[in-house]
Amino acid sequence: MTPQIKVFGLFVAINLAVFGVFVWVALSTRWPHEPDEGAVRRLRRWFFGVVTGTLLLALLLTLPRAPYPKHDRKPDRIVYAVGMQYSWSLSDQPINSPEQWREESYAPPVEIPAGSLVEFQVTSFDVNHGFGVYSPSGELLGDVRAMPGYFNCLRLRFTKPGTYRVLCLELCGMGHHRMWGEFDVVGGTSKPSAAKPVAKVKTSAGSGS
Amino acid sequence: MSSALNEISHDQKAAARLRRTTLFWFVVVGFLFLTLTLDGCFLRMYQSQFFPTLRAEWFYAVLTLHGVGMLAVWFAAGMAAVTYLLSNYLRPPLWASPAALGGTLLGFGLLFVATTRGLFGAGWHFLFPLPFYSQGTWPDWATGCFFASIVVFSTFWLIWSLALIIAILRRYSFRTSLGWHYLSGRKAPEIPPLVLITMVALVSAVTGFLELLALFFFYFLQWRVKDFVANPLLMKNLTFFYGHLLVLASMYLGVAIVYDQLPTFNNREWKTNKIIVIAWNSVLVMVLMGFFDQLYMDIVHPRMPQVMGQATAYFSAVPAAVISIFDGLLLVYGSRMRWTVGSTFMFLGLMGWAAGGVGAVIDSMMADNSVLHNTLWAPAHLHTFYLMGVVLMILGFAYDLGSRLSRLPESRMLKGLILTTFIAGGYGFVILGFWSGAHSVPRRYATYPEGLTHATTYARTAVAFIIVFIFGLVLFLWEIGRRYFRAIFT
Repeated sequence: MTPQIKVFGLFVAINLAVFGVFVWVALSTRWPHEPDEGAVRRLRRWFFGVVTGTLLLALLLTLPRAPYPKHDRKPDRIVYAVGMQYSWSLSDQPINSPEQWREESYAPPVEIPAGSLVEFQVTSFDVNHGFGVYSPSGELLGDVRAMPGYFNCLRLRFTKPGTYRVLCLELCGMGHHRMWGEFDVVGGTSKPSAAKPVAKVKTSAGSGS
Repeated sequence: MSSALNEISHDQKAAARLRRTTLFWFVVVGFLFLTLTLDGCFLRMYQSQFFPTLRAEWFYAVLTLHGVGMLAVWFAAGMAAVTYLLSNYLRPPLWASPAALGGTLLGFGLLFVATTRGLFGAGWHFLFPLPFYSQGTWPDWATGCFFASIVVFSTFWLIWSLALIIAILRRYSFRTSLGWHYLSGRKAPEIPPLVLITMVALVSAVTGFLELLALFFFYFLQWRVKDFVANPLLMKNLTFFYGHLLVLASMYLGVAIVYDQLPTFNNREWKTNKIIVIAWNSVLVMVLMGFFDQLYMDIVHPRMPQVMGQATAYFSAVPAAVISIFDGLLLVYGSRMRWTVGSTFMFLGLMGWAAGGVGAVIDSMMADNSVLHNTLWAPAHLHTFYLMGVVLMILGFAYDLGSRLSRLPESRMLKGLILTTFIAGGYGFVILGFWSGAHSVPRRYATYPEGLTHATTYARTAVAFIIVFIFGLVLFLWEIGRRYFRAIFT
């Protein structure tokens, strides 16, 4: 089960409780009566405590899981990714100009060892794009924005061999839905010490789509 | 004596004029809402591949029209409703609502031209510098026309908001209108919740409109000054700050209406107290910081605002849930409630606000935001607290206004059909959005790529739910239309 599906389950569970309360309150109007003020005050205090406590706990538990690079841990690989309307270009070397970006679209594939920690350094040469990495089974693994003039970093560890896609996840014009990049992680195991596989990088420009 | 009679006569004329303007506002709102809902249906139909030969430019242009249009309609509808309701407590200027109606219609005219003639398709958030990078899809005049529509909307609404603030300040001081005297234990003068919450919404909206002027100033420099390059990160901050404030101001206007109108259905009181004052003043502070959750995936953004974004998004749920929704439920619990379409919509609106809020709080979690926010999850939570929240709150008021003025009885069968189709169609549509988001379906995609074919199936299913909703909406408009016709012409 993916993390997103677990979150969906949590969302449904909370909202079933919310709907249940609303239905119960609506039904209570069939038998009119005045609520006991003392009980209401106690209930509000309890509800305030539960809501605030739950949110505080969730905040403390989830903040450390924020997907920001930790500087004490160096990535095994750095991949440079640049978006332009409407394609991604990925390379081992920094891409410094639109001309280089075009060349890299047709360049030999980048090799990414499976299981290693990869840092994507993402930027754009024109408008804002979204750098969304999808697993071979179509699950969104991570997303960072590509913004002209800035580098945003996304760290991911690929454990399964297969074809991974990079889709644009920020509206960037009429070709937005056709903007993608692709790499195949071949060989290797799920452990970082596995044999080095090869990642072939293709893009929508490179493949002519 | 004669002077007093003149005063009464003047007040009656003013009330009749304001009533007519408000009714006309909601005729326009009904027409625009139906049009824009059909646009929304077109978007999901396009994603379902119903129009394989139609160019994708149309999808993005209609997406822009739908996004900006819906935000515009519901902010304006909320303002029209509170302007009318404020007249029970003070004297709102009579020119403000008709002038804003004219401005809003002009803005919509420009927006329709920019999107349907010019195919401007940079989205409701027109993220810099996309409007200047159309790749030949839309001409320069369409960009100008789109910006002109936003400037017209914002200018008229800024004047409208300031006019209402001035009207409130003529009756109460700034401190009093925000209920600060309740904090020191004083209860006089009594501040109706409508005034307090409207003040919070108006201050938020005015901040947003002024900030939008700064955004347009940078756009203007970019357009006219050679070698000037606006900072994309600053522009993104300004854009989301404005969008966030406008959405939340609309929400608060809806909640203000519910605070004021729901008690009229069961003769209970919903009065301002110290807790309500603390809650809404804290909302005013938090609303100004809560937009940073839109920027989590811009890693270069300073870390502290990101953390503040999650904290404020989380804790703004406390006043909403513990005060407004809890008090709303308490108001209804065990009461002799008169369940009409109007009161049921307001009650359901509170539920939609709560349900959408849960989705929003989950999305604002930094740990999950990067795998949820750019999927259909985000539009799903927005539609939950907008379509099933603020829209129902405002429509509930609009329906009730027509019912009171026309005194037409409700058809039990039509009432049941309207409520069933709104709930089934609306919640079916938004739940599919959450489900699609949990299955990584990207948002704002004209069609889905290979490997995400399940997204097309979800889009087709969503179309079925939207059609159910539209059926209910047409019934609702028929029912409200009969009431308005009678109220205006008899």
